[in-house]
Amino acid sequence: MLEIQHLTVNYGGIQALQDISVTVQSGEIVTLIGANGAGKSTTLRSISRIVSPRLGQIIYEGENLLKKRPDEVVKMGIAHVPEGRRVLARLTVEDNLLLGAYTRNDGAIQKDLHHQFERFPRLAERRKQQAGTLSGGEQQMLAMARALMSRPRLLLLDEPSLGLAPIIVKSIFQIIRDLNSNSGVTILLVEQNAQLALNTATRGYVLEAGTVKITGSSADLLGDDRVKQAYLG
Amino acid sequence: MNIALFFQQIANGLAIGSVYAIFALGYTLIFSILGIINFAHGAVFTLGAYFTYTFMGLAFGFNGLLAQQKLPFGLPFPIALVLGGLAAGAIGVLIERAFFRPLRMRGGDSLLTLVSSLGIAVAIVNIIQYLVGAEAYAYPMSALGGLPPSVNFGTPESPLIVRTVQIVIFAVSMIILAGLTYLINATRTGKALRAVAEDATTASLLGINTDRLIMFTFFLSGFVGGIAGTLVGLSVTVTGPYFGIAFGLKGLAVIVLGGLGSIPGAVIGGLVIGLAEALVPSQSSALKEAVAFAILFVILLVRPQGIMGRVQVQKV
Ligand SMILES: Nc1ncnc2c1ncn2[C@@H]1O[C@H](COP(=O)(O)OP(=O)(O)O)[C@@H](O)[C@H]1O
Ligand SMILES: [Mg+2]
Repeated sequence: MLEIQHLTVNYGGIQALQDISVTVQSGEIVTLIGANGAGKSTTLRSISRIVSPRLGQIIYEGENLLKKRPDEVVKMGIAHVPEGRRVLARLTVEDNLLLGAYTRNDGAIQKDLHHQFERFPRLAERRKQQAGTLSGGEQQMLAMARALMSRPRLLLLDEPSLGLAPIIVKSIFQIIRDLNSNSGVTILLVEQNAQLALNTATRGYVLEAGTVKITGSSADLLGDDRVKQAYLG
Repeated sequence: MNIALFFQQIANGLAIGSVYAIFALGYTLIFSILGIINFAHGAVFTLGAYFTYTFMGLAFGFNGLLAQQKLPFGLPFPIALVLGGLAAGAIGVLIERAFFRPLRMRGGDSLLTLVSSLGIAVAIVNIIQYLVGAEAYAYPMSALGGLPPSVNFGTPESPLIVRTVQIVIFAVSMIILAGLTYLINATRTGKALRAVAEDATTASLLGINTDRLIMFTFFLSGFVGGIAGTLVGLSVTVTGPYFGIAFGLKGLAVIVLGGLGSIPGAVIGGLVIGLAEALVPSQSSALKEAVAFAILFVILLVRPQGIMGRVQVQKV
């Protein structure tokens, strides 16, 4: 479904990614794990076209994503839940969700809105509130629901557990699994919490200083001594 | 001060204040999206007034490349006003594509952008002078069609007279204001604009074409600027190529007073300055131009972020 080939990204003089290759098959949950600064977010931002790689290719369903604008990427069925959630704080919960459907003009938007409110009842209670007034967990739910409003086939999640209480993390990951197994959404999950990520994903890549260090099935990675030592504590 | 005079001055204040408001919104729209002040806005205001004059099929004066030229047809004032606004909007888009966008793509800093926009203003003034000379142009009395020149809101014994022009200006400004408010608060495009204003990167992750919305913002800004230019031209005259420069500075006072980037702020700021100027006694009318800046100074001492401004957050 998604094929990242030999991707190299620079920010000015800083090399964030160096020749990384990642593939995601339709129906999978694939995770990118690694320490802060390893290049995980940069990988997702390259897919969404909000950073421009220096070298390499990103092929999605046979098309070269690097020729597309960010809004075209969304139209092609890719939604990105950014690190730190980035809800539009001065807009209401409902307006955030409706903007998630900005690329659509079918008649089912209201139905989907209703559906997201069923999936995230906390958001329904707060639909007319400014998004900036929500708690961290609620904002994460809003960011996910907003991404789902574009009806993505591939969902990019950047550190959904960041800064949240364990009980909330648990329910968010439950929703991630459910989206994948019941709604058929393919997921590329970025996490610093390697244990959690590998327990959720089918396969994983370990990023270190902008390169892919290790890759394999989640079971293999959970059993790998290097991974255990560096990331599983 | 007698009551009739006071009434007239309030009417004057509301009329000019409402034009300040819509003009200042042109700055506000661009500021809230890009975090920059477009100093070419005053020049776009001037162009709007000339465009309307042109669309009315009126002839230019004896100087400049287009001396004595006119369109082969003349449109009624209301239609010319709208077309003048649309043409000014198109100029706004052109300015964005030709200047602001290339600078933004190169990561030019905001001081550079600001100086460039001043340069655009100067260039527009020069081009106008080159084309149609430096003389003043007035819309003909017939611009308002069959409307009487003034309306008496009092009785024949104690008249309260307001010039029809002031009523027209106020009404047109209010229509524009209502339209913009509706657009921004109640439409899909308006929500997308607010999303881009708050966080352009996130907006593009949601599938919003930020480039296109920025162009649309410049169009709106130019449109309200052009309409404002025509309305002021109708009230006084189009005083020449520098017509919009002083007005442009006044508009800056309005947005700073109201709070940078705040739409209600621009409206309140415009009305406050318009009313305050109108209430300056006629024997000290030489001080009129200073009033806006005096009010600005006093308010900013008390409220540095302006009347409706948020405490400034760093744009990323
Ligand atoms: N906007 C930016 N400008 C400059 N350097 C950046 C920027 N974003 C990220 N970097 C650098 O790129 C590298 C990778 O960052 P990132 O992709 O955010 O890592 P991760 O998401 O794994 O923590 C880091 O060294 C980081 O400092
Ligand atoms: Mg990151």
